[in-house]
Amino acid sequence: MSVERSPASVTTDLSEATAEELFEDAPCAYLATDLDGLLIRVNRTFENWTGYRREDLIGKRRFSELLGGGGRIYHETHYAPLLMMQGSVREIALEIRRADGSLLPALVNSVLRHDSSGQPRVIRTTIFDATDRRRYERELLAAREREHEIAHRLQRSMLTGALPSGEGFELAVYYESAEEMLEAGGDWYDAFWLSERTVALVCGDIVGRGLEAAATMGQLRSAVRALASTGLEPAALLNAMDGYCRRHRIGATTTLIYAVLDLDERRLSFACAGHPPLALVAPDRDPRFVWDGRSWPLDVGFGERERAQATWSLPAGSTVLLYTDGLVERRRETLEDRMGLLLEQLAAHRGEPVSRSVPAMAAALAPPPRDDDVCVLGLTLR
Amino acid sequence: MMFAHGFGCDQNMWRYVWPAFADTYRIVLFDHVGLGGSDVGAYDRRKYDRLDGYAEDVLEICHELGLDDVVFVGHSVSAMIGVLAAAKEPERFGALILVGPSPRYVDDEGYRGGFSREDIEGLLDSMDSNYLGWSATIAPVIMGTPDRPELGDELTNTFCRADPDIARHFAEVTFLSDNRADLARVRTPALVLQCANDAIAPVSVGEYVHRHLRGSELVMLDAVGHCPNLSAPEQTVAAIKRYLEG
Repeated sequence: MSVERSPASVTTDLSEATAEELFEDAPCAYLATDLDGLLIRVNRTFENWTGYRREDLIGKRRFSELLGGGGRIYHETHYAPLLMMQGSVREIALEIRRADGSLLPALVNSVLRHDSSGQPRVIRTTIFDATDRRRYERELLAAREREHEIAHRLQRSMLTGALPSGEGFELAVYYESAEEMLEAGGDWYDAFWLSERTVALVCGDIVGRGLEAAATMGQLRSAVRALASTGLEPAALLNAMDGYCRRHRIGATTTLIYAVLDLDERRLSFACAGHPPLALVAPDRDPRFVWDGRSWPLDVGFGERERAQATWSLPAGSTVLLYTDGLVERRRETLEDRMGLLLEQLAAHRGEPVSRSVPAMAAALAPPPRDDDVCVLGLTLR
Repeated sequence: MMFAHGFGCDQNMWRYVWPAFADTYRIVLFDHVGLGGSDVGAYDRRKYDRLDGYAEDVLEICHELGLDDVVFVGHSVSAMIGVLAAAKEPERFGALILVGPSPRYVDDEGYRGGFSREDIEGLLDSMDSNYLGWSATIAPVIMGTPDRPELGDELTNTFCRADPDIARHFAEVTFLSDNRADLARVRTPALVLQCANDAIAPVSVGEYVHRHLRGSELVMLDAVGHCPNLSAPEQTVAAIKRYLEG
């Protein structure tokens, strides 16, 4: 049975509570320190929450000493400077080390109080128990990390699988994703048999990051495989991919290079949709980039306009390199310089088996930590 | 006279100090890339994976502005950034003022930095926990509300705003750095300003820096905490003036 209380009686109760009681039993922990952080006063709620007794704290301990090592650094590098600069700090998450060593997740607010001459004198701090809130935040952070991890794993799992091998050629790939804490990108490579002596080589890069980019990559990769099995020429395959992207509203502005290599004829036909140019190392010639067979990225609104395609005859001993921009792009350096470095690397590793040169070049050009995925596919004709 | 802020906040850390030198020196203030008002787009994980990346920026500012005989004032991690810059191009620098320097934060055999690896993990945790709070308070700053100045009062913690991923990386690079060997490479005259009770760079660390920086001077400030530039600006200014004029 509930008892109605008149507003008047509530007012009476409140007014009976002394300021002292309001302070001591406030629903938040309350403390005051001098400018050096030395504790001057704490309330009963603080004692109850932390297990300290005020006589062990007042005049003896500094507030920052009640934080863990990490919190202490955070206090010194963020909390204290902010308080000095703006006179107050709000909603900083810190963990208070209780008397028994356990940690109290807290949200902390402070104000700097000045004396009558305007000099700062005292820091007043309220502390709110944030145990549940912190748990929820950790769940959110964990969920974000899990999504990153899933995207990385998904991307990686789609890129594993046996590569073609056989007489007369050697194939090697290198794939490293961006830093774990960054979202996965949408780079991919592929290599598969089209017929007994014809192999398809693919390298692509999707705009965007994260789970969605990884999923898109999986779809486009499958689409390329399916379309390739119908025997489309490279330029026609890219046109078919335009249609695929448009119909399914997926992967617009993806860059893609698709190459078909006849191993017996040593004939390479390829078409490049806005992707970095393939690099070629022929015996007795300097490494170079191949700038023909180029057209625009996938599904950029050019309709069914015909795309370019090129065919090269490769001398025995040639190496072809497909890669994504993560290998050559680097902030604050020009693309020309970086592509020059790739040519230097190709020259330096000339003659080595691709199983060795591809990872070596990737390590030299794009050492960790990486901002972006790095994807390289190299093939040498014997 | 170039002022470099440490890990945590931005060039506002010097607001009570630099004006005292403005009549005698050309003052250069900047925010490290990724912090304060810097261009976050210029952040390169590889470049800033070592403190040398930040030292390169200091030198780049010197080159760009044509600075010579620079008095470099570095707080906290920027003290070591100044050491690295001066080791690389000694001719640029007239003096180094190192406020609360630490060449290594994590304890090592025969060396006490004051922190364990677990502490550094704890710091990264603190930063992660504060990420959500930040993004909420930063949002109005990013949107810009010049026509409603009263909103300025609502914004908290703006002097420490940072891209969370970059701040985390900077924390790792800073607190896991070991630049003890670089101290011997410096020939520039240096003043080490040490707080009597610094929770981040203890007195023994300041003394270590002083011992290994040849010709350096060590001055103890009667101040608590890691930021005498904020908590004891008059003392800080006086000590720097005494050193530069003496």
